[in-house]
Amino acid sequence: MANSLSIEGVRAGYGAVQVLEGISLAVRDGETVALLGTNGAGKSTLMKAVMGIVTPSAGRIAAVIDDVEHDLVGKTPEEVVDLGIALVPEGRRLFPKLTVQENLLMGASRRAARGRIDENLAFCFETFPVLAERRGQLAGSMSGGEQQMLALARAIMTAPKILLIDEPSVGLAPIFVARTVEKIAELKRRFGLTVLMAEQNFTQAIKIADRGYVIVHGHIEFEGESRESMQNNDMIRRLYLGM
Amino acid sequence: MVTADLLANAVVAGLLLGGFYAAVAIGLAIIFGQLDIVNIAHPAFIIAGAYTAYILNSRFGIDPVLIGVLAAPLFFLAGAGIYRVYYGAFERTGQESLSGLAFFFGLMFIIEVVLILVYGVDYRLVQAGYIGESWRIGFVDLPFRMLVPFVVAVALTAGIYLYLARTFTGRAIQAVAQDRLALQLMGVNPIRVKQWAFGLGIATAAIAGALLIIIGPVEPSVGRQYIGRAFAIVVLGGMGSISGMFIAALILGIVESLVNTFMGPSWAPAVAFGVLLLTLALRPSGLFGR
Repeated sequence: MANSLSIEGVRAGYGAVQVLEGISLAVRDGETVALLGTNGAGKSTLMKAVMGIVTPSAGRIAAVIDDVEHDLVGKTPEEVVDLGIALVPEGRRLFPKLTVQENLLMGASRRAARGRIDENLAFCFETFPVLAERRGQLAGSMSGGEQQMLALARAIMTAPKILLIDEPSVGLAPIFVARTVEKIAELKRRFGLTVLMAEQNFTQAIKIADRGYVIVHGHIEFEGESRESMQNNDMIRRLYLGM
Repeated sequence: MVTADLLANAVVAGLLLGGFYAAVAIGLAIIFGQLDIVNIAHPAFIIAGAYTAYILNSRFGIDPVLIGVLAAPLFFLAGAGIYRVYYGAFERTGQESLSGLAFFFGLMFIIEVVLILVYGVDYRLVQAGYIGESWRIGFVDLPFRMLVPFVVAVALTAGIYLYLARTFTGRAIQAVAQDRLALQLMGVNPIRVKQWAFGLGIATAAIAGALLIIIGPVEPSVGRQYIGRAFAIVVLGGMGSISGMFIAALILGIVESLVNTFMGPSWAPAVAFGVLLLTLALRPSGLFGR
């Protein structure tokens, strides 16, 4: 069954500050779409608008989950999550005083996820062996890279159909960035996820993205229909590849 | 003069007292320790629990512990309702720190005044077969009016501990103060979790109140003696850690009992704050802070 996300003409911000100036993008069933942009371009705000954390002042956000279309504007974050959309938030936002295992179990709170809890937990421990080793350790005491793995695994525990990932590479050593991106690709494959990933690190993001958008000052500056068209775009070469 | 039997009796009495203190503080360990809500009225709810036990015991002769357990669901509903009001009036608009504190102060006085108006300021007590009985092991005295509250308090603490550690709602209660938005991203409504947790905390007051009135007679304002102790125990226990709270309660009970025996009862109320100040100076995160 198909899962997709479509965003049309979304304007949103915080109080008087307008961040998104009419954004339109789409993530089709089974795609991994990269959302590229520098700090403050509006990537996180867009993710928050999808999740119901920020309410758009205009525009439409809709998701198709298992062939059923849902309007997301006006829904609370917990309602959006309950539809089968998960966000790995900026800064990871783990529960620092809960153990690794407790964090993972928190992910399985929603009813649809509870039925698959053993299966999903086993899968997470298999995919991220470090989490199995540290299951009794407090999440706050782990390294940044390990925390990012836990944040990803915790989102998987919610049994999502659509996964949004906000800047997975921030604050990670290059080796962990590469490893995180590989893990995202693996999760996507094994779970048949539809993925929207915000990233500043073009080189890493393009490794796993089917296509992407470049967001500048709150609007889509460029839409690349394939990996090649992204790599060959003049603006991307200038901004991200220094060519 | 310090003799072995005096010392042993003081330590055992302190242990039993400390167990009861755990029942007094456990609701606050949830409400203040986990939810960060400064519910200064918690001891007043315990007094309300004690009076519930008194009323039903004097009228129908029901066992006070049983009354506490039966009244707990009603206290739960009252707590959930009070949180709803607190959330709507203060927390939602971010005024919980000062106005919220005043709210619970007011609640404390309302409970006290209502009890005084209806029942006066006389001391009230309950009847039960075991009150007045005691076991004697060697030279150590185990009065049932202390032993029964101790056993019930241990069971209550173990129950809450397992609930928080093993259930989805229990873990959500631990998580909600750590990161509200992250909890929403798990598909959980944080307000509902806090409402449930607040209700649970107040429900424990029904049981703690029954234990209080088993230990000795109660009048409406004795709750105030427990405000400092209860908050001190929660802070000593490391804010929200149930096992830490339990050990802190036992330590406080034993120290208080020793001071009471060897230095005189007038020093006992200073113990809670003395231990608290010392701990905060040496270990600011409490004895068992995570």
